[in-house]
Amino acid sequence: MNLVELAVTNGGKLAPLVIPKQFTAGTGLMNPSVFVDDDGDILVNLRHVNYSLYHSENSQRFPSKWGPLAYLHPEKDMHLVTENYLCRLNSNLELTDYAHVDMLSLHEPMWDFHGLEDARLVQWQGVYYLVGVRRDNTPNGQGRMEYSAISLNKSKWEVKEVARKRLAAPGEDLSYCEKNWVPILDKPFHFIKWTIPTEIVTSTPDVNVGTTQVSLIEPPFPAPADQRGSSHVFNWGDYYVSITHDTSLFFNYLNQKDGQYYHRVAVWDKDFNMLGLTPQFKFLDAHIEFCVGAAVYEGDLLITFSFQDNAAFILRTPKDVVDYLINKAIETKGAGTWN
Amino acid sequence: MELDKLIWELSQDPFNPEKNFQVALEYERLSQTASAISFFLRTAEYSKEDNSVIVYVSLLKMAHCLADQVDREHSVVHALLQAVTVCPRRPEAFFLLAQQEEWKGHWQEAYTWASLGKNSLETHGYEPLKYDVKYPGDYGIKYELAISSWWIGRQIESIQLLEELEGMDLAPQYKESVENNLKLVRG
Repeated sequence: MNLVELAVTNGGKLAPLVIPKQFTAGTGLMNPSVFVDDDGDILVNLRHVNYSLYHSENSQRFPSKWGPLAYLHPEKDMHLVTENYLCRLNSNLELTDYAHVDMLSLHEPMWDFHGLEDARLVQWQGVYYLVGVRRDNTPNGQGRMEYSAISLNKSKWEVKEVARKRLAAPGEDLSYCEKNWVPILDKPFHFIKWTIPTEIVTSTPDVNVGTTQVSLIEPPFPAPADQRGSSHVFNWGDYYVSITHDTSLFFNYLNQKDGQYYHRVAVWDKDFNMLGLTPQFKFLDAHIEFCVGAAVYEGDLLITFSFQDNAAFILRTPKDVVDYLINKAIETKGAGTWN
Repeated sequence: MELDKLIWELSQDPFNPEKNFQVALEYERLSQTASAISFFLRTAEYSKEDNSVIVYVSLLKMAHCLADQVDREHSVVHALLQAVTVCPRRPEAFFLLAQQEEWKGHWQEAYTWASLGKNSLETHGYEPLKYDVKYPGDYGIKYELAISSWWIGRQIESIQLLEELEGMDLAPQYKESVENNLKLVRG
């Protein structure tokens, strides 16, 4: 199922998210994260990377020199560098403002991946945060979620990071990489860390506060266990709802990596008991797509996603379509099909 | 057509090579080269004909998008080599490969690709492409031969080719280069 077609056919709207080449050198704009703030502004954090993702699909007649899936970074510099741009959109989903997020310089990057990746934008207790994963703090690339508190001057459209906190994993904090903790919009500083079982954790921006597991709830039905966080967790009537993703990563006969990404809509009751999961879907039928944002706007749902790490989009999904997806999730509980 | 409309049309038929191509062209027009690469590659991969001109053009344009991003030289050449396999009788990919090697000072490689291009021009007719792939015209192959032949010891051939080019209608940058090179060899 192609969600763009379903949404637009039913009155929704798709808009590409593009900022000029002089800011990006033309390389990937990806993993946009939409958020509607207290002023009602549609904000999007847009991730810019210094590479182009190369992904051969179909019968893969034209793979890259390095195989069907490759990050085409500068050949003399293997670092994969992320910068973030904070954007504002009007109600027609046209991009009206954008600015580079001026991050604090707290350390020299120590790993191949530089910068705050896949940041979800939130506003909790009046403060904007980009909440993403950073892997450049250690020589071995250990990933941890981080709060980057953001100062946003809306008249000048200037964006600066003003404070940062690295979030420990709950418990002994021994894991290698924590990422894709998804913020629960109406529960400040709470995240779904893992979808199935549904693990909720909390940590405030206070640097002296650790991370605590709030709950761990098994779904009351056999569900695909590999669901990872994608969009924010938002309220929709009697439910909490989020878009999740799962990946199929594999190697071809030449031992070259390849992969497929799928998404689903996950539905919980107000106590985070899981009620359902849709079948897998695609946005635009690419093998690699990724969603990191969703926000309710004028009764509809804004969803942001990227296409092969190279192009970013926002999709206004009508209320009726969202209701259909939720009903489908509850009906099929992750085991059904779209037909 | 605006990008959002092109993407919407593509969403209804996402594996259609022509629709992917139109999206790619629009991203290319906007200088969004990573996005353009995605859709040019999909055009190539989902085209049903191995020797289709749209596949050939997509691979050439991918090479230009990668070149525009700077320091992706292996990927640029890789895309051009793939283009040769799609339309081996056409001259554009041979010219672009010769040009890439000339810029790197790989003179024998440049001469070899330009020679293959010359052979294709002499052996096969071809329809000009409807899309700009930065092929200046057939004199481009003669120019690559003229420059590279000098550096592999073929002095007489080089001067002869430059003199032939001198009398042709060339784009300004080629005209200037030919004149400068002739000044140097004539002393």
